[in-house]
Amino acid sequence: MQSISRAFSKLSVASYSKTLNAAVPCALIRSYATTSNRAPRHRLVDESNAADLSKVDPILDFSDDKPATLDQPKTFPFNRPPEVVLNTVTDNVDTPLDRLEQMRLLKKALVVKRVVNMNGKGKQPSMYALVVVGNGNGLAGYGEGKDEEASRAVRKATNRAIKNMRYFERYDERTLAMDVSHKFHATTIHLRSRPPGFGNRSNHYIHEICRCIGIHDLSGKVMGSRTPMNVIKATFEALQHQKFPEEIAQLRGKKLADVQHTYYGAQ
Amino acid sequence: MPRIYDLCARVQNGFRARLQSIAVPDTKMNLAVCNILYREGFVSAVARGNHMAPDATYTPTTTDNIATRRLWLTLKYKDNRPALNSLSVVSKPSKKITFTVNQMKDLAAGRRAKFIKPLAPGEIAILNTNRGVLELEEALKQNVGGEIIARAS
Repeated sequence: MQSISRAFSKLSVASYSKTLNAAVPCALIRSYATTSNRAPRHRLVDESNAADLSKVDPILDFSDDKPATLDQPKTFPFNRPPEVVLNTVTDNVDTPLDRLEQMRLLKKALVVKRVVNMNGKGKQPSMYALVVVGNGNGLAGYGEGKDEEASRAVRKATNRAIKNMRYFERYDERTLAMDVSHKFHATTIHLRSRPPGFGNRSNHYIHEICRCIGIHDLSGKVMGSRTPMNVIKATFEALQHQKFPEEIAQLRGKKLADVQHTYYGAQ
Repeated sequence: MPRIYDLCARVQNGFRARLQSIAVPDTKMNLAVCNILYREGFVSAVARGNHMAPDATYTPTTTDNIATRRLWLTLKYKDNRPALNSLSVVSKPSKKITFTVNQMKDLAAGRRAKFIKPLAPGEIAILNTNRGVLELEEALKQNVGGEIIARAS
């Protein structure tokens, strides 16, 4: 390593002397970046509007002080990251959510297909889209849209989905309170509540819907017809017609105790 | 004398039709099961009566009125949702199911036992034991096993 550095210094000295083209003492001046006493970066940047580098930046800088515990904070997302949506042109839908929240919603076009309307004039094709929208924390909804172009149909569907969002209650913010079985047309959905860390093991449409809602532990099975449209609608209906232990206890006049939280100390 | 599925059918149909009260045959087994439903809160009242209405005053059961004796159950609803969705038999004459205390503990804990689905939150199992017709939790307290006749949810 030292030989290489000496060789490089010789090279640099040689080039420097060539440019000077005189017998000038070749003391190589290396100039390092300093925060003071240096040439201004740009004619518009001066002391008043330059960045203050004395403070530690929370994103770009790493602090040297040792952490109190060896437990790492949750730096890694425990869900797979959402897909990069390239065309993020979203309309501002008239809902209680503001524009920033609407842009940050998880949106997924689950069904995009070509449908045809037979007329006297002939076949009129159009694109149909079913989009599921959610904030990952209980709010979710789905919307359908039809248009000549697929992108416009997806936009219509997204707007309708944002308008149709509703809050789904979860147990511990990760799973269902009770097992659910629901029949919608020819589709029967079985959703089973599972312990933490189990993951979402179900039909891929149910998987996406649960990701938008924020259900992380679920076991599901679709019996009967598996038409994507109907599976999605069935799942939303099933989650809507859930019975909760609190409601049952209230109706029957019973006292409800959560064993997991009280006795086993689950958070 | 009618078996347990007669009571199960009448109660389920009554709830589905959103009736205020139903009349079931007045037998010891029916009375025992109805008492358990009352204690669990599925049904708001259990009264003896005749085929027309519950008794206003106490009427003893004699050979004259035995044919018209009925048990009247007052059903419970909230927001057009019934308190009891399903009352189904478990042990059938073709396949009798009798549980030991350990198997009952499995059922109560959420594991299946003897091909019987575990109890969901809010579900009860009615057993016929040596100490009478009991609910699963009561039977576990008294440490008795028995034949599971029905499950209600």
